[in-house]
Amino acid sequence: MHVVALYWQAIVDGGGVDLELTAIAVAVSVVVGILAAVGRIYGGKLLGGAITVYVEIIRGLPPILQLFIIYFGLSQFQINLSSFSAGLLWLVLYGVGYAVEIFRAGIEAVSVGQREAADALGLTRVQALRKIILPQAWMVMLPSLMTFLVLQVKNTTLLYLVGIADIMYQARLGTSATEQPAIMYGMAAIAYLIINLTLSRIGSTLERRQALYR
Amino acid sequence: MSSDVVVDIEGLTKRFGPRTVFEDISLQVQRSEVVAVIGPSGAGKSTFIRCINYLHPFDAGRIRVLDHELVGGGAPPSKATLRQIRMQVGMAFQTFNLFPHLTALGNVMLGPMETKRVPASDARDKAMALLTSVGLADRAEAYPRRLSGGEQQRVAICRALAMDPEVMLFDEPTSMLDPEMVGEVLGTIRGLAAQGMTLILVTHEMQFAKEVADTVVVMADGRVVEKGPARDVLEHPTSERSRTFLTRVLKPLETVEDGQEQGQHGGQESGPGATTALGGDHP
Repeated sequence: MHVVALYWQAIVDGGGVDLELTAIAVAVSVVVGILAAVGRIYGGKLLGGAITVYVEIIRGLPPILQLFIIYFGLSQFQINLSSFSAGLLWLVLYGVGYAVEIFRAGIEAVSVGQREAADALGLTRVQALRKIILPQAWMVMLPSLMTFLVLQVKNTTLLYLVGIADIMYQARLGTSATEQPAIMYGMAAIAYLIINLTLSRIGSTLERRQALYR
Repeated sequence: MSSDVVVDIEGLTKRFGPRTVFEDISLQVQRSEVVAVIGPSGAGKSTFIRCINYLHPFDAGRIRVLDHELVGGGAPPSKATLRQIRMQVGMAFQTFNLFPHLTALGNVMLGPMETKRVPASDARDKAMALLTSVGLADRAEAYPRRLSGGEQQRVAICRALAMDPEVMLFDEPTSMLDPEMVGEVLGTIRGLAAQGMTLILVTHEMQFAKEVADTVVVMADGRVVEKGPARDVLEHPTSERSRTFLTRVLKPLETVEDGQEQGQHGGQESGPGATTALGGDHP
């Protein structure tokens, strides 16, 4: 099976690209997602409404269409993004749309009594969010956040369509060179499983630790 | 007006939509005075006490806490006013509302550290002193879920006291507790009263109100139906409405069908929990 040995390194390199993109995109969408969730809950009609519309657009459009609009569509307006930039931008925009809803649900799951206790102490809204609401929302959101992370890793498979050298791209390349799709896509599957099962394990460990004070 | 008035409430009115919860309530609370608010369920007692630190906005009237004033209707108070009032008014809730992700100690330390920028070491010392005073020094590192109801409420009281409030509000502090834990919490409150803390409490513990409160306010049907020295009101009520209420509460056996309003744990607060009182009669 020297084909495996020959192409495994390429698959691993592709995995590195996927992980890099996912890590940046998730980190950005978590930060922006928290802010947008707070904006949606406390931001009044205009800001809240704008964020809701954004979420609906992201959730309502097929992922490939979003990616193509960013990469090909924008180029018609002389906005020529590199494959990597376009791929990353899409992952971020898509991720924010999902993260907002995860954080909104998490924040709203914290009981009114907790808000009242924070208010009664004289905490500002930001202090209450940072010290009381978000740490508790975090416990509620952890499973959804892990699902989100795995979803984003899987979404990177689409990025070969704009020419990013991810796992999928390498597997297709290997397939045309060797004409052994079963082996090539099999290796890609194994690579994705390794990544996502590792993430799930990390997730359950975190959840167990949180459970200590729940 | 005497400078010793800590809380001054005038013409307070609260509505939920078309329903009037209470109307035109006035109350002056002097420094170190203990005011017990009693009355049948649904009389608006909890809503009333929650207006004092503006957990509930109100529709008319005004509340002054020392130098800061809240006015009903119109624009909401400024954030600064609200913060000033809330930092001076401590509150213990019926459901304790401890922060579940923090230890008992963490719960008590948080307020001063966040709102007054007190250094962690100072906040810790103070929190430990407070927890020790309510007999919970050995539970300082426990998370709320590991604490009994009575312990949680005592931690919650410490959390409020850590802010050095000028007045403490108690919103039915013992009504969610198992009977055997009522005493320890009432003991703590009694200790506060003995130390001269100004207290306003909504309670169903009539015996406790009689012993500890200076003033009893009877609320019913959205009004104050009677107000006066605790013993007078509880033993010789003059208003018809409070007489009906007190008869039902003080003689629960004759009106068993009205079980919810019994709230009679009588002398239980002199049980073992009383030894955890803050100072006071404690040797």
